[in-house]
Amino acid sequence: MRSNFTDAAGLGKEPVSMEPYRSAAYFELERDKVFARTWLIMGRTEDVANVGDYIVKEVEICGASILITRAAGDKIRAFHNVCSHRGNQVVWEDKGSRKTMFRCPYHNWTYGNDGRLLAISDEKMFFGVDKSKCGLEPIQCDVWDGWIFINLNPDNKVGLRDYLGDMGIFLSDIPYPNPGRSIKIQAHLKCNWKFLIDAFSESYHIPVLHSKTIGPSFSSPDHPASHLQNAEFFGPHHSISLFGNPDYQPEEAQLVEILAYKGMASENVLAANQSDETEALRAHKSVNPGKSETWSMDINEIFPNFHLDIAGGGFWTHEIWPITPDYSRYEMRFFVPKPENVRAAFHQEHYIARLADVVLEDLANVERTQKGVASRAKNFMILQDNEVLIRRMMDTLDKFTVSDNLEKALEECA
Amino acid sequence: MRNMATVPAGERALPAGFEELEEFVAYWAVAGQNERRYQRCDTTMDEIKRFYDAVYPRADEAMAYLDKFPLRDMPGPEARLMRMVLSLAQASMSVEIQGGARVPNAPWPDTVKILTTETL
Repeated sequence: MRSNFTDAAGLGKEPVSMEPYRSAAYFELERDKVFARTWLIMGRTEDVANVGDYIVKEVEICGASILITRAAGDKIRAFHNVCSHRGNQVVWEDKGSRKTMFRCPYHNWTYGNDGRLLAISDEKMFFGVDKSKCGLEPIQCDVWDGWIFINLNPDNKVGLRDYLGDMGIFLSDIPYPNPGRSIKIQAHLKCNWKFLIDAFSESYHIPVLHSKTIGPSFSSPDHPASHLQNAEFFGPHHSISLFGNPDYQPEEAQLVEILAYKGMASENVLAANQSDETEALRAHKSVNPGKSETWSMDINEIFPNFHLDIAGGGFWTHEIWPITPDYSRYEMRFFVPKPENVRAAFHQEHYIARLADVVLEDLANVERTQKGVASRAKNFMILQDNEVLIRRMMDTLDKFTVSDNLEKALEECA
Repeated sequence: MRNMATVPAGERALPAGFEELEEFVAYWAVAGQNERRYQRCDTTMDEIKRFYDAVYPRADEAMAYLDKFPLRDMPGPEARLMRMVLSLAQASMSVEIQGGARVPNAPWPDTVKILTTETL
């Protein structure tokens, strides 16, 4: 177990500049040097479970609409959701299933799930269009452990596994419970995207900001400050383990909480499943890697904008998408079992209701922070050891923004 | 636009034995987690507490009764009772955790949406 995480990460201890959080110029660097060339999360393979299923995802910072399909042969592919005719979007829904083809609703140009242009309506009036050259524009797409990623750089030469590096090996083969069913909490926030990354990257705030919702289960009289249990660093990615209070019990007056958890042998208040359903998850070597008795959850941050968080009772993800320097889209997905009776539905309602409150505590906070930083009253953040991921993320972004290409950026982070 | 639960003409609002809770049906028996969260956030602590105090004492019994029906195919009165019980989980955030209707110092309305694959 590490004692000084900041030293272990090879980082300095000086205050960190707030300028990248409010600079339009830095935002452009993030677009060109980070989002336009790193691998980006799109979802789970279960999101396109069957041949014909598709999802559409936006990468606002790059102005891209991405169509992910599962075509015959079971291959998952990604395309720019842009018609070859005059550039409209071919698919207007954010998910669905169309057996074999997509028809652009503007003029009925028709594409296969594999991106080929199959038919042009009223083709005889065109001037000799070579359909074989007018398919949907493909995007590099690969799957790691059930997670679909894309890379928007057509000239990218770093494969997904090389990009994930030791982080991918560390997290491989995790037996995710309920990967095919999730409840999403979505919000749009008036803040720079990095405030959202930071909000979900440290535990120092939990006993304070979340004092009522989850503070009592993430801290204890012996551990009032909710110190990190462990930290691991892998190139631009990293993983931390948070303290959990093994003695947490709802107070006697929390009648509904007691009722919701009645007959539920669960790990903690962040459990979506019964304990016996997550035994294999907890046994994985990289889940609670220190096998601490006082553990609540791991935060696994895959650079630049994906958190894959694992607790004893299940897992969830955060995706944080920059839109403008001070506007962002936030999506949290909780992977939950399908309730089969009223009591299970009641537990799930309570679980998600609490998490929506927790998330809102964080989301209200990031807009306040944005306002404070934008005021230029202060120019530096003062970070402590348990906030190591915030310091490391900024250090990684600085390295990416000055690197000529992804290979060099990864070398800088090695 | 606020959602309200409606009772078709000629149908009971709630199953027999739960008549005393009928006054809460229109506001609290709405379908969908996002809609139930909205109702909890868009009212006062006094209203939430009145609902909580009335429904909590019957919640365990209601769930035992509802267990006899298929979760995704309940008759109207049973579906409304189930949704009121699910709303109790939302209301409990105000009563048992926040000590106020909503997360303190957070904006309302907010941009938070709960998106589910099925609507119970």
